Amino acid sequence: MNILETSGLYFDYKGLEVLFDVNLQVEKGERHAVIGPNGAGKTTLFNVIIGSLIPRRGKVTFKEHDITKASPHELFRHGMGRSFQITSTFQKQTPFQNVRSAILSKRGIRFNMWKRVDKLDDITRETDEVLKKLNLYNERDYPASALSYGKNRSLEFGMAVASDPDLIMLDEPTAGMSRDETHDAVNLIRSLSEGKSMVIIEHDMDVVFSLADRITVLHHGEILATGAPNDIKNNQQVRDAYLGETEV
Amino acid sequence: MSRTVRLSIAWIIGLIIAIIIPHVVGIVYTNVIVTFMMDAVFAISVNLLLGFTGLLSFGHAMFFGVGGYAAALALTHIPGFPLIGVIFVSGFAAFILGCIVAPLLCRVTGTAFAMLTLAFGMLMYVICLKFREITGGEDGIAGYDTPPIHLGFTNIDITDPTNFYYFALVVLGIVTFLMWWLVKTPFGTVMVGIRDNSLRVDYLGYRVKHSKALVVIISGTMAGFVGGVYALFHNLVSTDGVLTVFVSFYPLMATYIGGIGSFFGPIFGSAILQIFDELTSRYTERVDLVNGIIFILVVMYAPMGAVGLWWSFKTWALKKLQKA
Repeated sequence: MNILETSGLYFDYKGLEVLFDVNLQVEKGERHAVIGPNGAGKTTLFNVIIGSLIPRRGKVTFKEHDITKASPHELFRHGMGRSFQITSTFQKQTPFQNVRSAILSKRGIRFNMWKRVDKLDDITRETDEVLKKLNLYNERDYPASALSYGKNRSLEFGMAVASDPDLIMLDEPTAGMSRDETHDAVNLIRSLSEGKSMVIIEHDMDVVFSLADRITVLHHGEILATGAPNDIKNNQQVRDAYLGETEV
Repeated sequence: MSRTVRLSIAWIIGLIIAIIIPHVVGIVYTNVIVTFMMDAVFAISVNLLLGFTGLLSFGHAMFFGVGGYAAALALTHIPGFPLIGVIFVSGFAAFILGCIVAPLLCRVTGTAFAMLTLAFGMLMYVICLKFREITGGEDGIAGYDTPPIHLGFTNIDITDPTNFYYFALVVLGIVTFLMWWLVKTPFGTVMVGIRDNSLRVDYLGYRVKHSKALVVIISGTMAGFVGGVYALFHNLVSTDGVLTVFVSFYPLMATYIGGIGSFFGPIFGSAILQIFDELTSRYTERVDLVNGIIFILVVMYAPMGAVGLWWSFKTWALKKLQKA
């Protein structure tokens, strides 16, 4: 069963065609990577799926809901979590407060004005558990702005998964990281996305091949191939278009 | 538990000072303190928007003014209107106004929000100026009777400055407590989230517009309560007194001077402004000039206000102590 489906997506920036009849299928429980050379339309595709861009034609379906024009909070409530390419945590707040916001929303505690938030013990406990999984428990009470870039990326990823979403959307989760940080991040992503559906947009081929169950290659706004990592590696069309330029 | 003990001791001392102060400083300064309390709580309500939700309002006087007018109108036209009713009517009037403007205000941020609040504030000003039969135009509404508090066995006459001080202390204390509670609740974390990163808040499943509208309504209602107290205190409500842009700017200045980053910052800001008002008005009429200079200095050299200065001093002192 497909958890996420795009059918016949077209998108253009004032006449510049970026997406051209994109039909992407993400099965339930798979980690699906979208790769492609620069300018292939990966980030545009990501933005169309998460609703910050509206396609000219076509439809995005998530768990049988039409989410083509859904607003961000509706996507969250359908069970989609996303991370941002540029770290987008609450910088003045601590990791604890950052993650807690996600947990509160997941529990539907959004307009509560009669209970003190620090007295909600089960929320505090759940937040602490997530922080431990993210290896952020030691930094629990420092402002996010004081943490390292790598830790902030962990937090960014953590806020996307803290609400236990059915589909995790990751936009270049390891962008700007050092080799070691990338290695840790991949392990973290792998352990926390176990058994979940995930769409990941990524440049780094090591990351893609160590995480993805299935890969879609985007080239000039069109899907060139979809398949298991090994098939993609051996696909001549893909090699010509993309992989030949970089070492694999 | 030492922190709890220290806090309760501080509270008890503060309460004792608050109770005996009108008997120590005399009538004139009791009234100054009442003015300060109203400014401070008004500024806190502005800070709910500015400091906690990141929305700069140039028109908060409309809520304050509507609260004041509602109180004055109720007292003028309804004989025997009870005092508690006055406070509730002023809050309710501001709440209604909030429900009208919030759906529009919640759609914009930043400069657009500031300009839109300014526009609504000026609109309220002109409406009250022009509907002379109801609002008294420039002269405003004056000379209504201030009812006493009925306590069954006795009546407390709040036209007496000391009694009014206690009345204002209780009402404004409750309003302040409500706002303090609000920022501690889950909804308070949503407010701070909207200030820091509203897009992220949206992707975390919160409705940003609804939340912002709610903050506008709550903050406006609280300002309305203060407006009601103002109407009772001055026995006069006029457009120049409660609805001009300067009424909106004053709490903003107090908030910046006190520190927008903290809940109690506006209280310090109001105190500082009040003290400087008192001192400068003895020597010169140019009180606003002095206020303006303080404001500029704070914005340039202490953007987090008096509370921010105190925090930097504390970290500096701690470092010195550790070295020694």
